Amino acid sequence: MDTSTHISEEEKDILQEIMNIAFGKAAADLAEVINIFVVLSVPDIKIIKAVDLPNYIRTEFCEFSNISIVEQNFWGGFKGNALLVFQADAGKELIALLGDSGELTHESEFSDILENETLIEVGNILIGACVGKVAELLQDVVTYSPPRIIFEDHSSVSMPKTLFDPSNSAIILKTVFSFNERNVNGFLFLITSDNSVVWLKKALADFMEKYE
Amino acid sequence: MINVILIVDDSPVSRKMLKSCIPKDQEYVFHEAGDGLAGLELYRKIQPDVTFMDLTMPVMDGATALDEIIKYDKHALVIVLTADVQVKSLAKVTELGAFLVVRKPPSKESIQDALSKAEEKLR
Repeated sequence: MDTSTHISEEEKDILQEIMNIAFGKAAADLAEVINIFVVLSVPDIKIIKAVDLPNYIRTEFCEFSNISIVEQNFWGGFKGNALLVFQADAGKELIALLGDSGELTHESEFSDILENETLIEVGNILIGACVGKVAELLQDVVTYSPPRIIFEDHSSVSMPKTLFDPSNSAIILKTVFSFNERNVNGFLFLITSDNSVVWLKKALADFMEKYE
Repeated sequence: MINVILIVDDSPVSRKMLKSCIPKDQEYVFHEAGDGLAGLELYRKIQPDVTFMDLTMPVMDGATALDEIIKYDKHALVIVLTADVQVKSLAKVTELGAFLVVRKPPSKESIQDALSKAEEKLR
């Protein structure tokens, strides 16, 4: 095992706590922007090879025929791709939550666009706040690509091939969002190269130094 | 005077971070629990002077544990230490009887300030 890229249990615990803080920030940002309350769950972190990610997603979302993925790239000391995966009807659920705003239309010609825009906006806020807070806590600064949405039939998840470089790792943050008592399952995946994992290990050690 | 401190958080790293922010020159006795239910049971057993409570935890969340602790002891000093910084979450725990809310990550300043306020309240 390559110890320079292997993440220990303790490092995983530190990362989990940092992700927990970051997700709290993401939820607060989302609540502020669209006036909804997000019930947070305890995040679960796994680190797998990026090539195994399509199978992982297929298994986790097997009860849904389709999924929606908001993808955003980020660059800094910590760099990679963030994928926020929802079941395909999450957009409709979120639109329903916003229904009281009086600004939405249910005409069919607009509904697909509205659903996409809602997912992209929610994804952008969650990914930005989450990755941004992780970066801030680890003394890093990141920049982002514009978010884009991908719709997938779960039986043939075919995300960008470049993500599945054998040398890449996928840090999986699994958490369940509950928006105003509507369960919307969302998974966040951060896919990084082994170079970023080396950077991450040092950043985690530096972060904990002030708590020694 | 603060003597016994209970820390309720499912993350061992978070408990370690918090303890490192508490002044070493005071001889506090620490007790730790990994979820809200264990925290509630430990509270009843040890009657701590101050309790630090996380919110997002398995088994029993921190808001429920806080509610139960306040029902059991209306003078309990529970400091909520949380990453859930949504306005509605903070309002909810304040309404439930939290003495203070401190945002994660903890710092020496934020924790010492919270303990000073708790100390004052106990006088």
